[in-house]
Amino acid sequence: MSANVSTHYISEKVARVRWLPEQLQQSERFITGSWDMERNFVRLWKLQSNQYATANTAAATDNVELMPRCMDKVSVEDDVTGMEFVDKDTLAVTTADGRLSLMNVQRAVEEDQIHFTARSEQLHRFERSQDPAPCTDISVYGTDIATAGEDGCVNILSSSNIRQVKRHIEADSLALFAVSFISQNQLVAANRMGVIRMLDVRVASEAQPKVNFMVACKDDKNSNFVSSITSHPMQQHILLCGTEEGSITVWDLRNLDYPASYLNAHSSPITDIGFHRKDPSKLFTAAEAGEVWMWSENKALTCDNQKDGSSAWLSGDRVKSLVGVEGVLTNIRKAINSFDVHGTRLVCGGDSEAVYLIDDIV
Amino acid sequence: MTDSNVPAFELGDTLAMRCGNTLTGVFVPGSKIALSAFRHVKYNSRDVPTDTANQDPVLIYMAHETTLFDEPVLRSLLAESNATFATLQQLGQKAARVEYVNISRAYRSIVRACLEKLEHEKKSPEVQTDDLRLQRFSEAMVVFYAAECLWHLFEILYIQQNQLVVPQLLEWARFHFPQTEERATDLLLMGEEASESDDYWNVLRSLIMLGEIDITRAILSQNRRASQPAFKTAELALKSMPIYQEGYSLQKFNSQWEYWHMDTERKILSNVFATEPELEQLVQLVVGNNDEWDAGIKASQDWYQYLPGYLLYTKPTCKPFELRIASTNWLNRWSMLRPERILNSMSRMILQLMEHDVRLFIYEAQKISDTNWFSAHLLDLIHNSGILKAYFDQNNVDLPALRHSIIYEYGTFLMSARNLWHLGIDYLDYCKQEGRAAIELLLPRISIRSERQANKLINLAKQRGLLTVEQDICKVLSKRAYDGERYGNALEWAIRSKDVLLVTGIADFILKTYSRTGNMLCPDTIANIGGRMFISPRLVFLSKYFEFYEFYRNRDFLSASELLVNLLESKITPEYFWPSLLIDSMPLLESKDPKIFSKETVAILHHIETELVPIIERNTDKFGEHHTETVFKDYRVENIDEILNLMRLACARNLARAMIIENTMALE
Repeated sequence: MSANVSTHYISEKVARVRWLPEQLQQSERFITGSWDMERNFVRLWKLQSNQYATANTAAATDNVELMPRCMDKVSVEDDVTGMEFVDKDTLAVTTADGRLSLMNVQRAVEEDQIHFTARSEQLHRFERSQDPAPCTDISVYGTDIATAGEDGCVNILSSSNIRQVKRHIEADSLALFAVSFISQNQLVAANRMGVIRMLDVRVASEAQPKVNFMVACKDDKNSNFVSSITSHPMQQHILLCGTEEGSITVWDLRNLDYPASYLNAHSSPITDIGFHRKDPSKLFTAAEAGEVWMWSENKALTCDNQKDGSSAWLSGDRVKSLVGVEGVLTNIRKAINSFDVHGTRLVCGGDSEAVYLIDDIV
Repeated sequence: MTDSNVPAFELGDTLAMRCGNTLTGVFVPGSKIALSAFRHVKYNSRDVPTDTANQDPVLIYMAHETTLFDEPVLRSLLAESNATFATLQQLGQKAARVEYVNISRAYRSIVRACLEKLEHEKKSPEVQTDDLRLQRFSEAMVVFYAAECLWHLFEILYIQQNQLVVPQLLEWARFHFPQTEERATDLLLMGEEASESDDYWNVLRSLIMLGEIDITRAILSQNRRASQPAFKTAELALKSMPIYQEGYSLQKFNSQWEYWHMDTERKILSNVFATEPELEQLVQLVVGNNDEWDAGIKASQDWYQYLPGYLLYTKPTCKPFELRIASTNWLNRWSMLRPERILNSMSRMILQLMEHDVRLFIYEAQKISDTNWFSAHLLDLIHNSGILKAYFDQNNVDLPALRHSIIYEYGTFLMSARNLWHLGIDYLDYCKQEGRAAIELLLPRISIRSERQANKLINLAKQRGLLTVEQDICKVLSKRAYDGERYGNALEWAIRSKDVLLVTGIADFILKTYSRTGNMLCPDTIANIGGRMFISPRLVFLSKYFEFYEFYRNRDFLSASELLVNLLESKITPEYFWPSLLIDSMPLLESKDPKIFSKETVAILHHIETELVPIIERNTDKFGEHHTETVFKDYRVENIDEILNLMRLACARNLARAMIIENTMALE
């Protein structure tokens, strides 16, 4: 476990957490979205130096240097289920009432602000009852935003006008749990049974390509949902899926006959999976049992063969020897629902109603 | 809470008023009471509708205990103490004492952090404008302030188990009466002008009574007259006061102490301080002059405020067991001087701790209106650290049972509160079989608002091996999806629930819908069932039939007919599906190039005669000639007799054709 973890209890179950994008410097602000509370909020936090830290250097090692302070908050109707930045000040938030909201973040020296700018129509609803269906995940590619819902539909919207749905795809009859862009026009969406479907943004539901593949599972008599999908930031044909049983399945999208690799990882459902934003050799996974792991590619072994599109992640059983794993955060006991890494800092949060800041990701 | 202020409920709706404002209540899970109007019915009341029946709506009111934890700020206290609780459970009963002291400090720091957050939040405009919240904040601050104060004292006296308690008690008193120190800081900053402020000597007196000798000296040294002999003598006396430290020889200290005492008293007697009466009062306090201390008692806020200070000047080596007598004496003196003051429960509890009456203390601790937070965590710490074990044994207190019941109470409270279940479950985990049973009952009652949440609950149940809970949740979701006509979703949840009947039911529904309308529901789900189909024979049939259906649609007739024959032979075909299945065979029998062998054709014919015909006959018996179509809800069937004939013909034709081909030698 990393030495430099600071824990801050914030009285909210955290569903999603994201750093504010910064180009040239370490980000000092992050956003949290809560779930399962009386009233749910999207909060903007800023790291500030700890006024209680003792000044003498000898004791400074156990001191928490930075404390997050809530700068502003926006109340949302229902649980936050997904959050992603569209550009450097615009945040897209999906909620369990089946809507997408856009929020604007204003950076300031003293008091940062966050406020609503737009709200979509009801994007997801159950056909029969017309009740809202929860959004489950969000993915952003350029200005396009894709939302997936429990009604099995995927909606594509443009961040410039979210009142209008660009494409509504009835992708599945099961609830979708994860969605991710793999290119400008292609999406993958995964359902509760572990089936991942490729969708094309350009065509309607009926004409969708019937490409689907099933995530691997230890015991094929059990269901194994995909909880989170990410694709490699540099090599977009590499798709990683975190699943209910805690394993990671890696697909090479150029060859969908069988998964490229299958890794036993956590012993509880994976909740979030994602690469470091700047350093694609690092992958992070978070799990329901309260763990965050870092997977780093052994650079010495894999640096030169990236050109032909191969990667350590595609090397089947040998992945474990090419990729090292270490626990960034362990023994939290409550689910870590989301994390985000920016530079050397990782922030994560979950059902323990705390955010954890880790300062020394290298 | 005394008996006089037991809360009373009154409904006051028209129906209740009509019956003389009576009501009845029933406990419902989650510590709630459902209240409704009540009319008394006796054995001799006549069983007739009341005169007023149907005039007023019957209203049911839910009453539940108010708790401080509705306030979001206090959630951090719950969440953080939950983590500390878990750490303590991992330590168990065998760790070093210092570990338990650390745990105790961790709990206190949680409360302090929370108090600070409350203080901060209370000032925000959001709270200031909301009277209800403001009141809740004040209430919470009183409760948790008291909790911290009591816990601190408990830690000093019982967990740390130092023989030397006076310095720590001083620290405790100072922390809980911070006003004096705040004023002292002001005075220090004012420098020389301080001596002109009105409360200068009052502050100094209470500083002395709180044992803050160093600060008193610092303030005195800034006095304009500090260079005068009286001040110098006072400074010397205060400076030279011996302070007992652990490890000193007690005898040596006592003789030093005696000497210093005599010396200082002699100085007073020799009228050194005659020019400075206020200064003399300070020194009188230091040597323990009773009149001066009595005056101090009259100015004190609560009985225990100056007790540690008094001990410092009169009995600096006080041991914990001597504290009992000292505190009783002090309280007697206090109540004599201030007879008008009645002890509140916190002051009483402090006395109980000092008098070593832990049993009563625990009893009172349960009355604090913090829904057992304090008593549950403190008792758990007492139990795990093994302190006071002998005491509880002597007093016939079954500590493990007591801890168990309080933790159970606390855990069930959290578990049944709307969104604290994830914290409550940890407490119930440590309540043996009762806890497990409570989890089993309460977990399925958590209202499920999204599938992600459902999966979290299922995961909790799975970790604990609560198979029935896991299945119940799946079944509920399956039913919910079924009602919402999302059959794929319903089928998948049913498969997860491993309930054969439920899976069979949904598979039946899909098959029946297909045979009636020719419309296959949720094909994408059925196509991916794979190995999971073996949970129910009906699901196996559905999956296999779907495979046939796909072959057929993709015009792979050879594979289709092979599968169809297998299905016919499989003995898992549901009765209602026979017509549909047999009708499916017709195009294959009739196709231009033969696809079904003679043996299989005979088998089909056999099934027509043994399965289909009896069904038709039974139906005709039951409903008469004209009702056959109501039973055969196949979308392709209009006239069953005609179909039957056509099928027999098709079989015959195919049989003839197949036999010829099969029995013809290849011409080579």
